[in-house]
Parts: sequence; C-alpha cells; structure tokens
Amino acid sequence: MFTRRQLLQSTAVGFPWLALRGLLEPAAAALDPLAPHKGHHPARAKRILFLFMKGGPSQVDTFDYKPRLQADHGKPLPFEKPRVQFAPTGKLLKSPWRFRRYGDCGLPVSELFPHTARHADDLCVINSVHGTNAAHGGAVLKVHTGSDSFVRPSVGSWVNYGMGTENANLPGFVTICPTLAHGGVKNWGSAFLPAPFQGTPIGNASQPSADARVPYLDSPGKSRGLQRLKLDLLKQFNRDHIAGFGDDGRLEARINAFELAFRMQDEIPAIQDLSKESKATQALYGLDEKISSDFGRQCLLARRFLERGVRFVQVTHSDTMVQWDQHSNLLNGHTKNAKEVDRPIAGLLTDLKARGLLEDTLVWWGGEFGRTPCVQGSNGRDHNPDGFTMWLAGGGARPATRFGATDEFGYYAQQQKVHIHDLHATILHLLGLDHQQLTYRYAGRDFRLTDVYGKVVDGVIA
Amino acid sequence: MVPPKAVLLLILVLAVTRTTAADSKPAPQPRDKAGVAYFEKHVRPLLIRRCYSCHSGQARPLRGELRLDTRAGWQRGGESGTAIRPGRPKASLLVKAVRYDDDSLQMPPKRKLPADEIRILEHWISLGAPDPRTGHKTSGSKRGTADHWAFRPLVAPPIPGATVDPGGWSQTPVDRFLLSRLRENQLAPSPSADRLTLIRRVSFDLLGLPPSPEEIETFLADRQPTAWQQLVDRLLASPHYGQRWGRHWLDIARYADSNGLDENVAHGNAWRYRDWVISAWNSGLPYDQFVRHQLAGDLLPDIPSPDRQRHRTQRLIATGFLSLGPKVLAEVDAKKMEMDIVDEQVNTVGRSFLGLTLGCARCHDHKFDPISMRDYYALAGVFQSTKTMEHFKKVARWWENPIATATEQQRLAKHKKQLAATKAEIDSVIKSARADLGKTPGSGETKTKDEESRFPAGTRDKLKSLRADLKTLETTMPELPTAMGVIDGKVADTQIHLRGNHLALGETVPRGVPEVLAGTDSRRFPAGQSGRLELANWLTASNHPLTARVFVNRLWRWHFGRGLVATTDNFGQLGDRPTHPHLLDFLATEFIRGNWSIKRLHRLIVLSSAYRMQSSPRADAMAVDPENRLWWRSPLRRLEAEALRDAMLSVTGSLDTSMRGSLLHVKNRGYFFDHTSKDETRYNVPRRSVYLPVVRNHLYDVFTLFDYTDASVMTGHRATTTVAPQALFLLNSKLVHRVSRQLAGVALDAPAANVSQRLDRLYRRILGRPATSTDLDHARRFLDRVQATLPQGKSTPINTWTALCHVLVASNEFIYLK
Repeated sequence: MFTRRQLLQSTAVGFPWLALRGLLEPAAAALDPLAPHKGHHPARAKRILFLFMKGGPSQVDTFDYKPRLQADHGKPLPFEKPRVQFAPTGKLLKSPWRFRRYGDCGLPVSELFPHTARHADDLCVINSVHGTNAAHGGAVLKVHTGSDSFVRPSVGSWVNYGMGTENANLPGFVTICPTLAHGGVKNWGSAFLPAPFQGTPIGNASQPSADARVPYLDSPGKSRGLQRLKLDLLKQFNRDHIAGFGDDGRLEARINAFELAFRMQDEIPAIQDLSKESKATQALYGLDEKISSDFGRQCLLARRFLERGVRFVQVTHSDTMVQWDQHSNLLNGHTKNAKEVDRPIAGLLTDLKARGLLEDTLVWWGGEFGRTPCVQGSNGRDHNPDGFTMWLAGGGARPATRFGATDEFGYYAQQQKVHIHDLHATILHLLGLDHQQLTYRYAGRDFRLTDVYGKVVDGVIA
Repeated sequence: MVPPKAVLLLILVLAVTRTTAADSKPAPQPRDKAGVAYFEKHVRPLLIRRCYSCHSGQARPLRGELRLDTRAGWQRGGESGTAIRPGRPKASLLVKAVRYDDDSLQMPPKRKLPADEIRILEHWISLGAPDPRTGHKTSGSKRGTADHWAFRPLVAPPIPGATVDPGGWSQTPVDRFLLSRLRENQLAPSPSADRLTLIRRVSFDLLGLPPSPEEIETFLADRQPTAWQQLVDRLLASPHYGQRWGRHWLDIARYADSNGLDENVAHGNAWRYRDWVISAWNSGLPYDQFVRHQLAGDLLPDIPSPDRQRHRTQRLIATGFLSLGPKVLAEVDAKKMEMDIVDEQVNTVGRSFLGLTLGCARCHDHKFDPISMRDYYALAGVFQSTKTMEHFKKVARWWENPIATATEQQRLAKHKKQLAATKAEIDSVIKSARADLGKTPGSGETKTKDEESRFPAGTRDKLKSLRADLKTLETTMPELPTAMGVIDGKVADTQIHLRGNHLALGETVPRGVPEVLAGTDSRRFPAGQSGRLELANWLTASNHPLTARVFVNRLWRWHFGRGLVATTDNFGQLGDRPTHPHLLDFLATEFIRGNWSIKRLHRLIVLSSAYRMQSSPRADAMAVDPENRLWWRSPLRRLEAEALRDAMLSVTGSLDTSMRGSLLHVKNRGYFFDHTSKDETRYNVPRRSVYLPVVRNHLYDVFTLFDYTDASVMTGHRATTTVAPQALFLLNSKLVHRVSRQLAGVALDAPAANVSQRLDRLYRRILGRPATSTDLDHARRFLDRVQATLPQGKSTPINTWTALCHVLVASNEFIYLK
C-alpha cells in the first residue's frame, strides 16, 4: 500500500488535471477531478447558463435594429456579399417587426421579445459577434467547441475542467434537451479532456422536456434498501481486491463512481420534480401556456440545477427540425420560435434576480450564427456568420449595454468586433479562468479552448 | 507547438500569393546604398527587436514558416505567402499584419507596434525593400523532412546482448529490448504473475472471452514447461481469436452498419466485410495481402485454383474498406460530395496504414509533415479514378459489387424460367377452359373471377394451386448478393483544389505516392488503372518505412493498452516519439522477415516474460515511472465494451458463439431511425458483440458508455474512462439484471453439498478463481441480510442470489484484467 504522498505523486501523471490545469490545487482535488477549485483570478460568475437558439435567430429582427434596412427595403445591398455564402440571396429585406426602446438604457428590441426586453437594463447585447462557418454543423461546433474542423472539448467541459463542481452528487456540466444533429454528442463531449468533464445530457431535442431523463437512473422494482446492501458488499469486495492487488488510483476511482451514481439516483429525480415549484413560479416561466411550456420547463430545470451547484448548464431551444432556420417564412417561423422562448427567458431572468443568483450566474443567449439582411427566396433569410447578436446577463457582464455594431444593414460585424474565440475568452475570464492558461496537454501540444486566438473583451465586463 | 496566427489567412491567400509572387518586382540588390543605410539604421534593429524571436533561424519553433532574418526568407514568405512586395507596402502582408488590419493576421501578436515603427517598415518597403542580407530562405522550417524518425529507412537493430540479462529473464528478444531500458533506469521487471491470472489475461487478450473453469483447471494442472506456449497456440487457433482481433481492425476500418451523418441508411451488406476481416485474421492472411485486398482486391489477378471465383468474391468484399466511411448523401453539390468522399478515403488510408494525417494537405501543404498539396491530390486522383459511388445525385447511392456465384445465377435463371412457365400454364388453362365454355364472357361477367366461377371444379382447383405456386415463386425470388466495395471508375489525374475548394482548380497532378516517402521509388501509375494496386504494392514493399512500423505498433497497443508510439494513428511530427525505437524497429523488421505473419508477431510478444509480469503497482517503480512507460509491469486493463458484454453472457452460459451473418432488421439502404421515427435497432441477441449492429449516430448503450469507437472515424486507440453513468448502467440496466438472474439460476440449479460449495462454484464461474474464506463470510452474511430486507414473498433464494451475482458482475475484479 502507498502513503498518501506517494499516491499523489503517482497520480499527478495518471490524473493529468493535477499538473496541467495551471491552477493551485488543494491536495483533496488530486483524486477527485470534479472537486471545486479556485481559478486564475477572482471570478465574477460562479456558474453559467447557455441558452442556445438552434438554427440561427435573425439579429436584424430581434436585437440589432437597423433603420437603414427598413428604409432601403427592396434595394440591392450596396456592398459585396461574402465570398462564401450558404445559399444565394437577393435584395434587402426589411424586418417585418417594429422595434421599441426599452429600459433606462433605451435598448431597441423588436416586438418578438417583449418580455425579455423588460430586462433591457440587465442585458449586455453584443451586436458585433462573428464566426467562421456558414453551415449549421460547423457553426454549431464552433460555438460549442471553438473548432469547426476538428474534435475538440466543448466549452462546458473546459469550464468543468477549470472549476470543478460545487455539488459532489451532480455532474458539473448538464445539457438539457440538446440537439442530436450537427455535431450531436460532440457539442457536449470532452474530446481529449478526461471523461468526467463531459456534459451529461438530459433528454434530447426531439423529446418533450417533460420526458427528458438521465438514462439508467431507475430500474423497475428497484429497492433502495437492497441496492444499498449491494453497494456495501461491492465496496467491501472492491476494497479487498485493492488490498490484495494495490492501486494506482483507477480502482478507487471506480468505487467512487458507484457512490456518485447512487447519490445521483436521489438527487436528479428530486431536481427534475418541478411540482415542488409554486404555481406562480411555474407561470413565471410560461408553464401555463402551451406554446411556452416546453422551453419554460427546460429553463426552470436549468435554474434548479444551477442553484444546486452545477457549473455549466445548457438549455437548447430546438425541435426535430432546425428551429430558428427560416430560409423561408421568416414571419411565421420567428414569431412561433420567439413565442416559445420569450416568456421563459424573461421569467428565468426575473427568478434568478429575485433569488440573488443573477449576480454570480452568467447567462449567455444566442444561436450558431445570425441571418442575412438580404432576402432568400421571397420571404426568408439565409445563414449569416459574419455579423450577429448574442447577449450576456448577470455574472459580471456589463448591464444596460449595447456593445459593438454591424454595418448599416446588419450584415457584417464592423465596430468592436467580437469573434466567437473572443467571446469564449471573455466567458472564461468572467468565470475566473485565463483562456491562455487553461490548457491541456494532448498529442504533444497544449490545447486551449481558444486555440491560438481570443481576446478578452473588456467592454462587456461590468 | 501552436500554429501561428496566420493560419486563417494562409487558407485564404496561399495559392494566390504563391502564383503572383513571381510577378512582383525583384528586390533591389544591395547596390542601393542609401536604401541599405536606411535598412541598417532603422529596419534591421526593428526586425531583430520585434520579429526575430519567432521569425529567424534562431526561433524555436519558427512561426508560420516565415524567416525575416534573410532576404530570401521574406521573398519566399511563410505559410501565408510572400511577406513583402517591394515598392508596394499596401500589398505587403507584413504591413497588413503590423497594421492589425485583418482579424486573422495581427503581428506581433501580443501588442501592436508603435505607429512610428509601422511607418519605418512602410517606408522601407516603399523604397523597394533594399536588403543586403543573404542566407537561406527557410532552413529553419519546422515541416518535417525525410529526417523525421518515422521516415528513416527500416533497419533491424542489434538485439541487446545477454549482458543486460544476467538472470536469464528473457524469453524472446522483446524482453531484451525492454530490459535494457529498464536497467538504464535502475528498474527491475516485475515478477511473473500466477498462472490463474495469466490464463485469464491471455484469454481475454486473444479471444475477448474469459477462460472456462475447465480450461483453467487444465492449464493449472499442466506443469510442463511448454504449457504456456501450448495455451497460446490453442488460443491463436480458436475461431474466437478472429472475432476479437478482427474487431480491433474494424476500429481502424471505421466499420459501421449504417451511414450516419445526414442520411442514416443501412449498410445492409457491410457485414460481409466484417466477416471477411474475421476470417482473414483467423486464417492467418499475411498483413501485406490483407492490405492489398482491401485497397485493390478488385485489381488483383486471379490465382489459378478451383476456388478462383470464391477468392475473387472475397477480394471484392475486402474493398469494402474503402467504402465504409460516412457520406453526406444528400449533399446538393455533387462535385463537393465526390471530393469529400475522396478526402475521407485519403484520410483513412493515410492514418490507417501510414500513420499520417494526409487529410491536412487538402487545403494547404501539411503544416508539420512533409506532405504537400501535390502529394494529397496525387493520391486523391487515385480515389477519384475509383468507383465508390453508383451516382452522386441526392440521395446518392454507394456502389456495390455483384458477387453472385455461377450457381446462384443459374438458380435465379432457373427460378425465373419456372416463374414464366407457371404464368404460361395459368394462361393456357384459362384459355382452354374458356374455349370449353364455348362462348365469350356472359353479360355482366366483366371480371375474370366471375367467368372462372363457371369453370369446372377441377379446373378451378388447378388454377388455385397454380396461382399459389406462382405466388411462392414470386416471393422466393432469389436476390443476387452484392457487397459494398469499389472498382475502377473513369481514370484520370486530378487538379489541385486551391484552398480545398472544388471550384478553384489549379494544376493537374499525376497520380502517385507522397514524394518524401517515395524516396527513390519512382513507380508510374498506369494510364488505364486507378493506381490503387500500385499504391497497395508500394505500401507493402518490404522497404516501406511506415507500413510495418505502424502495424506492429497497433498490435502492441492492442496487447498492452498503449503503443510504443502512444499516438497510434499519427507517426508525424505532432505524434509522440516511440518509447522504445529499437524494439519498434525490431518488431517491424521481424514482421516483414516473417512474411508479414500476424500470428508470429503475437507469439513474439505473448511468449515474452514481459507479457507475463504481474500488474500490481510497485512503490519503487511508481516513484520513477508511474505511467509504466518503461513496461516494468503488465498494465491493469479494463475490459472493453465488447469483452465486458461477452464476458457477462459467457459466464451465464448463454453466449451464442455462432459466427457470420447479419443481425440487421433494416433492409439495405433502408432508413434507421431518425429522431422522430421508430428506433429500428435491436440488441437483445446473445451473439458475440462483434456481430451486433453498429448504428452510427445511435450506438448501442453498452458501446457508448464503455468507450467504444465513434464508428465514423478510424481509431487505433480507444479511451478508457471511469464515470458515474457506467455505474448507473451496471446498477440499473436490464442486461445486467438479466445476467445476474441467469447466474443465480445456474448457481442454484446445480446440486451442491452446501452453500459454501455453491458459492465456490459461482466465484469460479464468474471470476475464474475459488472463493476465499473471507469471500464466503461476506457472501453468506450478505445473503442473510438481503433475505431479511426483501419483502415477504420476494425473499426467495433466486432473488437473494441474483443480488449477490449482481455485485460480482459489477465488481472491479470482474471488469479489470490483471
């Protein structure tokens, strides 16, 4: 048998998170990769919620008001379109929605998001986001992993790796109803990071969120008492095995995995039981209306995971099609989509604020790209990765802010441009992590979420 | 090594700058005295201060392949092309970079230069960039050359002499190589494991199955010195060997029974390739032939033999290797689809056989390895000249080779003839019966059926029976078998696709093999054939530096859990270096010398003392080499997904060991589920896991949870993880409950003198060892407690013993191999 020190020494290699996270580790973290740890600098946010709008909501119809687009409807775009386009587009198409100014900051928001707009003074809207890929698959992977051509760990895995979880009974990264298309599991996978950092999916995009479950949490006719007896014998048996054999950490890790599984069986169903929430809260999230109840349930579930210490929660708004992908019928499609999410998002922000959680919870909203100001077909918009809008709220993001700008028509990010890599760097920064120091050595090189790119965007930090 | 900021730009401008570089003005010679003076006074110091740390001969690594310490360096430029256009500051990449005009090219990366320094550079370039410096352009290039270890010629290294092994520990040369490294590090190899551990280890390793209690007893009782060798020989001759090791190869072949990606349709005939692989490993097909069959089986000449046709069919099936990749079958741009499929093939062939990421050179010269775009398109031409697809119109169809035997064709012809005859007879019976009725159909008798009701009863019976025959013949029409695979298509060289774009074509490249690797081999690819045969012959030439190295390393990885080169699929610059280069080269040369015999290679490894070491951690060695890179112990290994499931079924006695065939319930090219429709996959079959359908995008849970391959891309090194979802599966899945109950049934059914004997047999069955007295104490107490816990009526022996079996199956001892 080994002394603790020997064990720690040996596991420094077997458990690479020890040496390479670039963080000061308490000794206890050595054997539990998910033990919480301090970041590189004081964190503004302790946890993060990503509201992912699959398909690409249109910036010029939501949070990026462009009077010139309205005025020049039907005219040709007066400058060149991008070299790579997903599909051909025509003349300028004005937004069918009116914009109003909200909050003390006077943020213009379209009538698609009347409820969310009431939180204008909490939002940090970034109008100058840009990416690199014009197709869903590549763009979704870019937003989630920083790479659209290689298999890389997802941003949630990096955060989990960098921060650990505050609740030992729960995974550190949960993704609610993720889409199985366009990268699927790779969008919550840990790639070369050790598996404990991968996301735990709950349901998927084709299921109603009410049916979303973590698989194998339950078995028919299961008796808790019997299971505890089994686990006790198992633990005894495994300990005898280690005593006779010795351990380099892996056998012990597997004993812990069973204990964690046992606790998850209690914890997760309790979190998923939304009946514990008051009628008022349920209504706040739009559970009282058919159109918003599905996404509302996801948001409410997200809050319940966040308040129990899960570091990274993702909620995906997607149906079995590509939800926000209005190549045609922009009016109908976006109206329906916005109705599904607007009340739940607004309710979520209200609720987080009321519970004092918004202060240290970073909320991140957006799709994999935006849409073209030029028309596709007669009434749709094509993919546009060259200039689109995402917003942040809470967790150290600068409130009541409209940051960066696209051109007059909303096509290209132009002022204070924020690339996806920059956004990733900024998000890590708010969580207390330095995107250049958060590295993992694999296949002979140190990898980062931001590859060799990324600048922290000071202007969006409070 | 981190790629420089210029990567993005490189992709955008590489081709353009390379072609226009020649047009720009030549840099003025150092005659321009005033200009040179300006350079010396202002520019050189600036370059030294701001740029040399990354862009000079001293830079380690040299960034972006760009040197700014010689004139030739900036003339040639880096990955993004010529850095400076003399006289044209605005057109010079260097100026763009320092001005921070472009998001993807900003230099120096940390902070923008002060404005006056930028002006100095602009002014100097506007003067024509006078530069007196000489020297080579990019000698500091980090792109690997033929000098890279993996590209060096393969030479048999000397086997370390007996002096490294005074104790006589070595059994095969493998031991000598390992021992000499261990001794350099003052480490001793671990002692041999006990025989019980050994038979369990080698059975799982070679067959993927646990040894039966009887096999264990026989081995333990066999005290002859050759016992181990005989055991190994017996296992290598077992048909289960091919199921185990063929499955390893299927990881490389990215084998799957569905396409995945956008159109998840069934590869209804992929199983033929799987069965071919299993039988190739079982029959000991030499690796060079194994490679040639997969790359060019259709082009290999027939060997005169009565079995000629069958062999040809097998070779056609083998080419399925090239066709198994995932394809975007609904891609609207047919040309793009074609090039993506070709790319997948080049990539897979490169990583599988050469351990090289050739795919990197689709859009630009490989950034780390000596693979140019020319090399890539030389190979792409080979696969573009190959018919992989029937057509590219969405939804596209992959090509399948007809493989019917003459007998099958005759049977079909006979069947068709019979069918036609039956039809004719029916017509003639009707005709004559109608004639007998003596008139045309009566009024209102528009339907034949009405007319037939007036036929004599005998005729009606005859018709009924004939029609039944006809129906049988129609439904039993034999379908001629086909197999996924390739043949030659329209043979042509292909053009370089600038930036990988199929719409921007450059020069045509003759089909061929990568230049740096070709060495002196200047084989020409024939005009009338795709060149796959030449490619295969080149790969399996006895002096190829990579093919054997890559394969023996794979074999080592599959035996020991980590390769001598840890990055099994990347032997390039970014891959790991071998921990034991001499051992690697010894195995590779021995492999070729032994006529590429895989089983011979197994023996070299498995019969070694190193293979038989204990796997317990030793404090002295853990302190020096905790990762066991020097192989001082045998690695502790978790069973892979298939071995875990097969072991569970095996110990219950319910494993169906039959071989071959398809378990798909979806017909060829039929849709597996998409998220909205019914899931057509079924896994509740007690066959070995290698025969279960591999459905991309929706793998069997046991596979996904226990680190199976992704099945879309090849992998020679599966991960091993330990996570709570695995524990949840073992606690709550139906499979584990069923297995536990079966085991309890078996334990209780056999007559036994007492509980101890019953328990002992159960431990032997599940864990392959007798129960210790501690085990017996724990188990008895557990059974009592469970009985007390279960509600009345449920506290039956079968239920209490099921609980015990559940614990044993979930235990570390069951799932970890010492």
